[in-house]
Amino acid sequence: MAEYWGIKVEDIFNSMKERFRPEGAKDVDAIFGYDIKDEGKWKLTVKSNGMTLEKTDDLSSCVSVMKADGETFVGVNTGKVDATNAFMGGKVKVDGDMAAFGKTGKLFRKFVIAKKEMSTKEYLENMFATVVPRFKASESEGLDASFAFDLGGTDGGKWTVFIKDKKCTVTTTIEGKPSVTLEFNEARDYVDFILGKIDAQSLLAGGKASAKGDINMMQTKWPVLFEKYKDPLGGGVPEQELLAIKRTISVNQRYATGPVMGRFLKGLKEKKIIGNKCPACGRMQMPPREVCAECRVRASDFVEVGPKGEVRYMDIVYYAMPDPLTGIARETPYGSINVLLDGCKGNETLPHFIRKDQIEKIQMGWNEKKGTRVRPVWEDNRIGDIWDIKYFEIDE
Amino acid sequence: MAHRKKNRNVGIIGIGQTKHSSHREDVNQPEMIHEAVSLALKDANLTMKDIDCVVHGNMELFEMIHQPDMWHTLGTGAFGKDTIRITTGGTVGATICCASDNLVASGMYDIVMAIGFEKQQEGHTTGGITNMADPLWFRKIQAGALTGSAAYDVQREIGVERANRASMTYRIIMDKHAGLNPNAHRSFGLDFSQIDDLIKSSPKLVGDLKLIEMCSQSDGACCVIFACEKKAKELSKNPVWVRDHITKHKEETFTIFGYDKKYPWLRTHKVAAEELFKRNDIKDPFNYFDVFEMYDPATWWAMDWIKDFFGLQGDEHIKLIENHEIMIGGTMPINLSGGVIGSNPIGATAMIRVAEAALQVRGNAGAHQNPTPVKHALASGFGGTMWTVLTMLEKELNW
Repeated sequence: MAEYWGIKVEDIFNSMKERFRPEGAKDVDAIFGYDIKDEGKWKLTVKSNGMTLEKTDDLSSCVSVMKADGETFVGVNTGKVDATNAFMGGKVKVDGDMAAFGKTGKLFRKFVIAKKEMSTKEYLENMFATVVPRFKASESEGLDASFAFDLGGTDGGKWTVFIKDKKCTVTTTIEGKPSVTLEFNEARDYVDFILGKIDAQSLLAGGKASAKGDINMMQTKWPVLFEKYKDPLGGGVPEQELLAIKRTISVNQRYATGPVMGRFLKGLKEKKIIGNKCPACGRMQMPPREVCAECRVRASDFVEVGPKGEVRYMDIVYYAMPDPLTGIARETPYGSINVLLDGCKGNETLPHFIRKDQIEKIQMGWNEKKGTRVRPVWEDNRIGDIWDIKYFEIDE
Repeated sequence: MAHRKKNRNVGIIGIGQTKHSSHREDVNQPEMIHEAVSLALKDANLTMKDIDCVVHGNMELFEMIHQPDMWHTLGTGAFGKDTIRITTGGTVGATICCASDNLVASGMYDIVMAIGFEKQQEGHTTGGITNMADPLWFRKIQAGALTGSAAYDVQREIGVERANRASMTYRIIMDKHAGLNPNAHRSFGLDFSQIDDLIKSSPKLVGDLKLIEMCSQSDGACCVIFACEKKAKELSKNPVWVRDHITKHKEETFTIFGYDKKYPWLRTHKVAAEELFKRNDIKDPFNYFDVFEMYDPATWWAMDWIKDFFGLQGDEHIKLIENHEIMIGGTMPINLSGGVIGSNPIGATAMIRVAEAALQVRGNAGAHQNPTPVKHALASGFGGTMWTVLTMLEKELNW
């Protein structure tokens, strides 16, 4: 029998019993067939949280039959071949009930080469046991933070990593109010993530993992505080260590505002919101701009508008995007609004933020329906900046 | 480009792209670009000696390198050759193609190599995008490229439930296409049976825009070789002809959300499409084009834009999605590559639209080749500051 990546088709079938997951077979009561080109046919019966397998030529009783060649079958079962691509590309075919066959995906743990195996549980123990030795105390000056890990599934568990007074401690519970909490539905995904087998984006997109709290701390601080986890089965160092250069750029900038934007910003200092009117089409530009882009004429007529207005549009932002100007993630959710200030019309709106506790109460307006009335809340110490308006709040 | 003033015809004779993925830490930027360049040269059966000029581009500020084209010469091999660098935001890949087409059409060069790339993991995407905003005030308000406005619009138009299902249907169709494209970054193996689950489980980013509906951040590069008609016929068995391209944009401002019927917010896609089709005398673009590679930053925008590009009425665009007519083999297959939602190395993204459309016309796209013949293809590019670039490709030189 041919071997693929050192594994025979028979190895996959022979290990099925051992890899069987009764929890994945809860609602399965069916007979599945496997027709592997030049290798033979197998019949898998799943019933009452148990399974039997036999090699047979008669697959007539099967609800669905998977057809593939040996290489693809071994590849898909060992993760060497992408199952979706194999299926979409026609290298794997399923005859019969497609939906029923989909359930076989949950029936077995993945096949791993026996002599190089570490279970999820062993990996997690090893990962958290090495947190303290991997800790770089010199990087934690003045830091008081805690990182919580809530990893689900049968092998999962809870851990909290505390950093205080340049010391690192680990508990196997989640205590207090962690600075940031990482939640994974399946602990195995966390292990794969740390081993670099899955990227964070795919996990988040698939809804398999989520992060709560100061995500920026997890993204930027954790990699600095701890040496990278080394896979004990990693087989030592690669031929050449591939280095990445890390750098943070911080540069001073100084922009001249000019007489038009300068007038708007100076107005904010005086608690005034100033737009300018196009002499040709009459539209108000908010904030003022040198030229009307519709008419290509200089807009020179400055007009004070607002400061109150109605909300025409609001984005509720849930994603904790780090502010590129400060590196700090904005607290979510927050409401990003477009306000149609009194004296403006159409699309002449001013984008800003709404008071955090009022997001739920905001109604967006359009022609037939007025949006929620809002007013600016001013900073006491104004410097001529868009943030001289702290935010808008409901005008009650 | 003023249409019908082309000095001579231009054909695409070489196409190459990397596998797009979340990390390419195994190679540096010139090495990654070299992969795409080598593939395009091999595809065209040329060497660097045959290339007269290189047009290079990506997102400004993403990797924080000034004049990356200089460093990247190590990967392109364009030592001593004329090189032009272009950066126009999300549209850049499409703009590079426009420029290459113009350079060849004008007679300046016979063979031009276009290169677009991005290594998003090497910089700060949100930082780069936010830094495009007016530094005098808007930088402090904006954060990246996310908005739920398109979801709000479509939901208001056709109702929340139908809109959510159509959006996820579009997403799953793109995933199925990505599954056929070995270069695609994200291919989850989603199925239509998961629509309701995904609507519930995928985390919300902004408003009703969910994580799974948004495009990815990828590392990758794309390279396309353009040649004049004479050279294209000499060198290539199946050149793909660039018929026309158009660029539309308006003022750079995000104060457009007035939701006032008398002042509809600008729709550069609609304006660009109408003008392009009019000047090419295409009265029924939906029936004329065989495939469409659309720059789809998120499902919601994609749904809404199908209407704009083809001038569809009522809910025709939604029905196309619901009836899977945009799927491979459908009446208007869209993004057989898996689209931007599948792979998004931004500086290359809009060029990949042209490259993938050209592959479809050539008929050798591989597993994601449309089953019925492709003679006319459309490719779009989009930039966050409301830019549109459209490119028309043809199999025959007969217009």
